[in-house]
Amino acid sequence: MITNGSILSQSSFGLNGYWGLSLNFNTPLYSYESNISNYSHLEDWGFSFLYGAEFSKSTNTNIYSISLAKTLEKHNLSTRFTPGYQKEFIFNTGESIIVEDTSAQSLTANFTYKELFGIGYSYKFTDQFNAGATFRFFTQDFSQEIVTPIFEDTLYLVRDTQEEKINFWKADIGVNYILNEYLNFSLASINLLNFGEKAENSNFEQFEIKRDLAALFGVNVTPINSLAVNFIYETTSSYQMSLNGYLGDLALGLTLFHDKYQEPTIAGMVPTISYKGEIFELFLSGVKYFSDRKKDFGVTGFLENGITNIINNPYSFDKVLLTVSININTIAKKSVEFIDVQVVKDIYPTFTDNYIDYPFAYAEIVNLTDEYVNVKPMARIEGVNEENIQSPISSIAPYDTAKVPFYIIVPETYVSDKAVLSYADFYLFVLSEQPDDQFQKAVLINSNNSWDGRVSNLQYFIKKDLEFSINYSKAVLSRNKTLLDTLHNELEDFYKAKILFYEFIKHLTYISDPRASGEYVQFPNETIELKGGDCDDLSVCYSSLLESVGIQTALVDYKANGKVRHVNVLFNTKLVPGQAKLITNNDTKYFIRESFDGKDEIWLPVEVTSLTNFETAWSLGSEKFNKEAINDLGIVKGKVAIIDIY
Amino acid sequence: MKKLIIFLLFAGVVNAQSFTVKEISGDVKYQNGNSENWTSLLEGSKVSDDAIIITSDNSFVELEGKDVSFKLNELSAVSVSSIKKMNTDDLLLALAMEDMMNAPKEIEKNSDNTAVYGTETGQEHTLFIKSDNFGIKRLNGAVQLAKSDLLESAVVAARETYRKYPETKTISSYRIYFADILYEKGLYEEALDEFLDIQKLQLSENDRTVVNDKTESIKMKLLGE
Repeated sequence: MITNGSILSQSSFGLNGYWGLSLNFNTPLYSYESNISNYSHLEDWGFSFLYGAEFSKSTNTNIYSISLAKTLEKHNLSTRFTPGYQKEFIFNTGESIIVEDTSAQSLTANFTYKELFGIGYSYKFTDQFNAGATFRFFTQDFSQEIVTPIFEDTLYLVRDTQEEKINFWKADIGVNYILNEYLNFSLASINLLNFGEKAENSNFEQFEIKRDLAALFGVNVTPINSLAVNFIYETTSSYQMSLNGYLGDLALGLTLFHDKYQEPTIAGMVPTISYKGEIFELFLSGVKYFSDRKKDFGVTGFLENGITNIINNPYSFDKVLLTVSININTIAKKSVEFIDVQVVKDIYPTFTDNYIDYPFAYAEIVNLTDEYVNVKPMARIEGVNEENIQSPISSIAPYDTAKVPFYIIVPETYVSDKAVLSYADFYLFVLSEQPDDQFQKAVLINSNNSWDGRVSNLQYFIKKDLEFSINYSKAVLSRNKTLLDTLHNELEDFYKAKILFYEFIKHLTYISDPRASGEYVQFPNETIELKGGDCDDLSVCYSSLLESVGIQTALVDYKANGKVRHVNVLFNTKLVPGQAKLITNNDTKYFIRESFDGKDEIWLPVEVTSLTNFETAWSLGSEKFNKEAINDLGIVKGKVAIIDIY
Repeated sequence: MKKLIIFLLFAGVVNAQSFTVKEISGDVKYQNGNSENWTSLLEGSKVSDDAIIITSDNSFVELEGKDVSFKLNELSAVSVSSIKKMNTDDLLLALAMEDMMNAPKEIEKNSDNTAVYGTETGQEHTLFIKSDNFGIKRLNGAVQLAKSDLLESAVVAARETYRKYPETKTISSYRIYFADILYEKGLYEEALDEFLDIQKLQLSENDRTVVNDKTESIKMKLLGE
């Protein structure tokens, strides 16, 4: 009668050998034995089919396992069906009975151990740290013939069979830490949690799969890209070591394993050759034991040591195995990603064109691929844009980082009388309609009247309200039609500017910035309606009125230089230098500027804030311009700037 | 010119000053600030730096300032603000400013206009042209600035006159005179630009020889640099 025996459930031995966290292949990672943390390289779906032949006295073929896995962002879920993970033992119990024909018949015991299926889950906390768990379902079928005495008038001995089926689950957890591309570590439990049935028949209790708590530690070293050395140690004193070489899409592996319960010290090896295609992987493996497995085994060894593993034990046979795995990716591969985004400008809604010409944000992005990538950056500001605004396409070299500008369009229709804090969504598109990456940053959107203090940006206030200015100027000039009709054509612009100035200043008052807390600029219609404004407002208004009737203007920016910054207006009379005498006897009151077509023309500076009469405004303007812009060389020293409106 | 603009960042400040009329002879008038009228200038009076002084035939005025004294001879005009000492850096800045004053989107101008305006009456070697043309008076004033050793101010005044009175730009004698100052100051690139422009004018045989020789000489110097 069998009285003793022990078996440990499977530990780290895998039918494809040990490959560590091989970055090139996913197939070995379907092994819950060595990959307890369920680590995976899959980007989407994965499927694996392992078929093999075992060479006992006869050759038996088996489907060893069928696996399915799915990665969803940082989660990975896998399941495995293992019809070939089983081992059956048939023993003579040592008892026999003599039947009526006087022949003796031995009684037998049949123990079958199976691992039926399992599931795994893992979560990648970072690119370096992964943790997960595997849950595996086992079943044990015990059957033993016994002789049962029946006491009646005569003593009968009846052959009977005791049977029991015991199912259980076991759960283990594991973690992986990838220090860098050269070194990674794994740590996992063995038999951490066990739950299920226990043997009711005391005869079978001792033959249940033993589930002693243990742990394993793995380390993978990749000194060069084409070579990896792996080692895994179990606290049950078993270990495996392997060497993997990579030759492009081909790989060779050799795993040697030591099992406390098997002879010799290196009990066997698993040589493997593998190939990785676009979506599939092929593994051809062999399991070769260094001890003779075709001899007849006595029952003593089993009674003393049991077996250590369902598919790898002293009674296992050499095998040849073929694994086909398919990696299906229905998710567009991420080619680029953001490193950071910097918003370099607050949004001033009136500066519409400004954000088309100059980026409001820059992103640092990285190309994750080994190919040149054309990135289409897009951005959208909540509350301002209804659709994404595309910025110029950037080409980025393999694995390179680049600084990509983001432009935006502020619609003419956007109106806000107060500043609001919104956010901008930034997207990177490569091939698909889904962005490869996205980023969100806060953006301050100022009111329509807000100004950033750059005189060059006053042009937007001049242009935006041009319709009002056209109507206003037309009305003023039509009232002075008689005078204008009597003038020589060449003096028309000069007199139009003069007439508009008189009309413009008639009811106006100069007021220093009414909203001293910030830069606030009135649109021309607001200045006329409010009957006042500061130098910015008045210059914007006068310039807009002149531009509306086709008179070229420029703003003169007298930069602060420790004093108060000031702005006034220059306008083009269209007179040539030889015609200066038509408007003045003083050649210091006008300035010559060469037009875009190479023609020298007379421009006059006007100090709009004087609000007295045109001659005084002109005199004051030219006096300031002569002194600060010309004599003090303010223009070349950057203290005075001429900003043309068109 | 790009070199000039970079250089200008390190330049010093140019100061103007007011003057007292030390001596006066004949008809000398001034125009103050933004005034449209001319007023006779009197001995002992003060003129501010925003004034323009003009002399008629056989007239002169001698001005005395804190650092500079200056005599304006007949048929000349000068802005008081021009009577000042400038250094070469200031001159470069002032030359650079001409371009910066222009409207944007400037198209390269290849003028083939060689017409002669003004009253160049065969006095090829006489710098003082007796004319009421205000532009020529301005150039005469600039020449006198140069003769008072205010060479840089003279060039700036001449260049401004060329812009405001384009007919003066065609008078080769003045052009050569002020281009020579640039040359003497070692501003070869600026001088070369000026001489190449002068070559486009209708020149006398003698002037053409001078201009050609000068142009070649500057080119050699620039190549040697």
